[in-house]
Amino acid sequence: MEYKIIEGLYYTKGDEWIKIEGDTGMVGITDYAQDKLGDVVYVEEALVGKKIKKDEAALTVESVKAASDINAPVSGEITGVNKGAVSDSTLLNKDPYGKGWLFKIKIDNPDELKELMDAKAYSEYRKE
Amino acid sequence: MKLIYEKSVKGRVGYSLAKDNFGEIRLEECIPSYALSKEKKALPEVSEVDVVRHFTALAKMNYGIDTGFYPLGSCTMKYNPKINERLASLDRFVYAHPLSDERNVQGSLEIMYDLEQLLKEITGMDRLTLSPAAGAHGELTGTLIMRKYFEDLGRPRHKMIIPDSAHGTNPASSAMAGFNIVEVKSNENGTVDIEDLRRLMDEDTAGMMLTNPNTAGIFEENVVEIARIIHEKGGLLYYDGANLNALLGIVRPGDAGFDIVHLNLHKTFSTPHGAGGPGVGAVGVKKHLEEFLPGPLVGKCSNNLLKKSVDHKGLEPTPEKRDSQKNESAEKEHDSQNSKYAFEYPTKSIGRVRAFYGNFSVLVKAYAWILSIGREQAREVAEMSIINANYVMARLKKYYRPAYDRFCMHECVLTGRDYKGYGIKTLDIAKRLMDYGFHPPTIYFPHFEPYAQETIMIEPTESESKETLDEFIEAMIKIAEEAKKNPGLLKDAPHATAVRRCNEAKAALEPILKYTK
Amino acid sequence: MRYIPNTEEQKKEMLEAIGVGAFEDIIKSIPEKVRVKGELNIPPALSESELFEKIFGTSKKNIDFLSMKPLIGGGAYRHYVPEVVKTVLSYPEFYTAYTPYQPELSQGTLQTMFEVQTHLARLTGMDVVIPSMYDGASAAAETVLMAMRLTHKNKVVISSLVHPHYIETIRTYTEPHGLEIVEVAFENMLYSSAIHAPFQWITDFTELEKAIDDKTAAVIIQSPNFFGGIEDIERISQIAHTKGTMLIQVVVESMSLGILKSPGKLGADIVAGESQSFGMDLNFGGPYNGYIATKQSFIRQLPGRIAGETVDRDGKRAFVMTMRAREQDIRREKATSNICSNHALNLFAIDAYLSLLGANGLYEVASLNARASHYLMKQLVKTGKFEGYAYPFFNEFILKTSMDIESLSDKLVQNGFIPPLRVNKFMPALERHLLFTVTEVLSKQDLDRVVEIAAGER
Repeated sequence: MEYKIIEGLYYTKGDEWIKIEGDTGMVGITDYAQDKLGDVVYVEEALVGKKIKKDEAALTVESVKAASDINAPVSGEITGVNKGAVSDSTLLNKDPYGKGWLFKIKIDNPDELKELMDAKAYSEYRKE
Repeated sequence: MKLIYEKSVKGRVGYSLAKDNFGEIRLEECIPSYALSKEKKALPEVSEVDVVRHFTALAKMNYGIDTGFYPLGSCTMKYNPKINERLASLDRFVYAHPLSDERNVQGSLEIMYDLEQLLKEITGMDRLTLSPAAGAHGELTGTLIMRKYFEDLGRPRHKMIIPDSAHGTNPASSAMAGFNIVEVKSNENGTVDIEDLRRLMDEDTAGMMLTNPNTAGIFEENVVEIARIIHEKGGLLYYDGANLNALLGIVRPGDAGFDIVHLNLHKTFSTPHGAGGPGVGAVGVKKHLEEFLPGPLVGKCSNNLLKKSVDHKGLEPTPEKRDSQKNESAEKEHDSQNSKYAFEYPTKSIGRVRAFYGNFSVLVKAYAWILSIGREQAREVAEMSIINANYVMARLKKYYRPAYDRFCMHECVLTGRDYKGYGIKTLDIAKRLMDYGFHPPTIYFPHFEPYAQETIMIEPTESESKETLDEFIEAMIKIAEEAKKNPGLLKDAPHATAVRRCNEAKAALEPILKYTK
Repeated sequence: MRYIPNTEEQKKEMLEAIGVGAFEDIIKSIPEKVRVKGELNIPPALSESELFEKIFGTSKKNIDFLSMKPLIGGGAYRHYVPEVVKTVLSYPEFYTAYTPYQPELSQGTLQTMFEVQTHLARLTGMDVVIPSMYDGASAAAETVLMAMRLTHKNKVVISSLVHPHYIETIRTYTEPHGLEIVEVAFENMLYSSAIHAPFQWITDFTELEKAIDDKTAAVIIQSPNFFGGIEDIERISQIAHTKGTMLIQVVVESMSLGILKSPGKLGADIVAGESQSFGMDLNFGGPYNGYIATKQSFIRQLPGRIAGETVDRDGKRAFVMTMRAREQDIRREKATSNICSNHALNLFAIDAYLSLLGANGLYEVASLNARASHYLMKQLVKTGKFEGYAYPFFNEFILKTSMDIESLSDKLVQNGFIPPLRVNKFMPALERHLLFTVTEVLSKQDLDRVVEIAAGER
């Protein structure tokens, strides 16, 4: 099965993506992750203002038979959450790279981005 | 099917009460107005026959071990003997009040005492509590004992090692007991990676919880070495008895280096699962941990001397008073010539884990089962459960690639991964089995990459005959063919059940958790 | 062996199919060192008839509880259990089933869970119900952990009139989590003259209020309390909520909910209950069934299993276990609890019992309990041998006596009554206090006989 992967984003091994806009990143889960989870039935609301380290859990999403921590791809402060996805968790399945985004983070150290994968590397990583 | 509320008719009655002779006492005089409800609670109004038919119809929508083969891996769905139900429902047991004078419940106490002695011999442990209500409750009890043991030594420990193959209850119980979880990996044989364990075990680690045979149905052959690694660092080794059925009469955890065990009496010891409980999660310990057990335990007093009892009046001790009371009462004479059994309270107990003493009626059934099996057949139980599992694996491994291609113990772990190419998941195979009249095995557990994926865990138990296994095997082979030729049959399965595949996402997204009309 | 069907012949065939010559070849990986040598030292097998004789004989060492009328409760109540309840519990499709992991084969269990969730929501006045925990004590302990998670605070204030076993269980469960537990009321009532509660044997409001501070996660009150006393939950909830803490109400005698205002309506945030009175026999203390009821907003912190309504692929109504991602098999160490097996079988008893009794029956039984117990209290006080207390109670009440309790108890037993609970079993300071319990299994003649016996004693 082919999973959608978007050019220009950074990817984590835990199947999160981050899109850079200035000093802020927008974070969500990949198409692969939403497929593995199955129907997402709950999105926890991340705490705006919370300082968080790279790979630390920002929030949890739940499907019928799984729960998954969504980790911060980089260290920083959470500056925004997608209330649309909190109230309608199906957005994560329908549009994981768009309306299903999860939170925004003000990036502490842009160097941490270098440790993430680009679209090509992620595509290799998730090749089945 | 209609809910009982949807069968309700105003004014219909399903009960009868004796004539009320307390007419002169008004309820308003008894209950203050701040508490007395002005309206009756909106329960259904149905007749007795309505209730009987309602539950008879519900029963038809259920599947039990009495219905047919129920090969749920890790659940030990063995036959539940009928005589045990009868014995547990003897009047003098059923109506015994838990706070009655100990002199009046000598029969109940004797059952508890004797059962403990039998379980001591079966497990090789020195003392057991019968209080915990389920396996996970036993795990909590056991891990709290570990915590308390190290606190008592003045050197609290904070970590617990748990294999990646463990049941979810192990990490959850350890976390409830305040431990941080350290996961040890499984190797390519499906057993604990000894080098990984050696690296992880340290002097801040209370010990390790180990299921043996593990959840992949494989005996942890390095158990002696594992015990050495844990003990060398002063740790304790915990035996999760979920899979004890495989070892009955073959290995006693107490002889294999375990310090604590919990047993699921509703698994190995044949008490029915009751649609999810009640069970009993008895916990056994070695001598050095006895005083940490939750109270009360049942003791025997010989020559009318109630050894180790708290108080001849049966007072329940407060935690602070336990120590002194115990010493005082050690030689105290009991006030009754007839009393032989009495409650006693360990001195450094973790405290109660529940009200009263345990799921007594379940204890009677387990006790009856052990007496029925007896010394001659205890090992036969384990042997036949192992032969049955290996037989199923041998005949099905061509069709469902095993997670580990080696002999298993009482359960085998096959996988459905070779059918992914046909668009078939293990779930589809499980659902299709229902159309053949079988309860599906455990699926997707154990799960740890890369060996155990799309797993189908089959535990036949010793209760099943070769004919039943053959029918099941034929059905599984047929499904394997269907998966290739007509995968739609599997994806649409089940076809013949009371309801078909349920929309679980809808249940979670739009939760309806009670009837609201 | 009657429980192992395969014959020796079949065993051989199976070993052959496995590809081994002997059973021993399968278990070679078990080191010799850890094996049992010979047979276990347990008694030889009994036949079914021998087994019956043996255990029936042991049961006779208990007194004949069935023909005796209990005056004892204290967290375990003998109510009459209609025969239909026993019939339902004997259906093998229920008692020999496993947890309803496969909803297509478990609609009986799942619908029953859903019905009990509805019954208990209506009785407690709460939004959501976890229908089965091990018992009331462990359910209470779980609700304390739940309140700690919800508030991120680590202190609770608990009434000393909560059942002692429940308090101890709460201590055991919370000990690893650094919970500070402050007990109020009971000691004060005994040893100080400053009673601020309107009645004795009711939690002292002023002491309660004083004990709450900004670290307090929850106030825990049992009503009816250990002495049967009916607490003013509305008042206590106002105190708790004004101070910004949650209120957990423990309900041990759930029969009281038949006539008492619902905890939810009075302001309780969480109810931790024991439902033994709804169709469960005494069984020497278990298995009973705990439950937890709470508000919609706390749902994600609930421990344990819950059923939800949905549809199957044909659009037909169906029930499933839902909100599963809270549970240990999915969340492991991050689960809200480790609970897996619960006391599900007793849900069939609760469902059948409450359906049979219905709105009117439950009210009438509860009312009868309350009025009959008040009758006995008044009659006993009239004998002049007991000191009564003016406090509101449901079906249990405490009396002080200067009589020889030992001798009274013996006399009651001889006359077919299980004597009342000696309170000093739990609270040594209350040396001369008895806790009487009256349910519908005692007739007015029974109660008059009890009074007569007491009157004739010294």
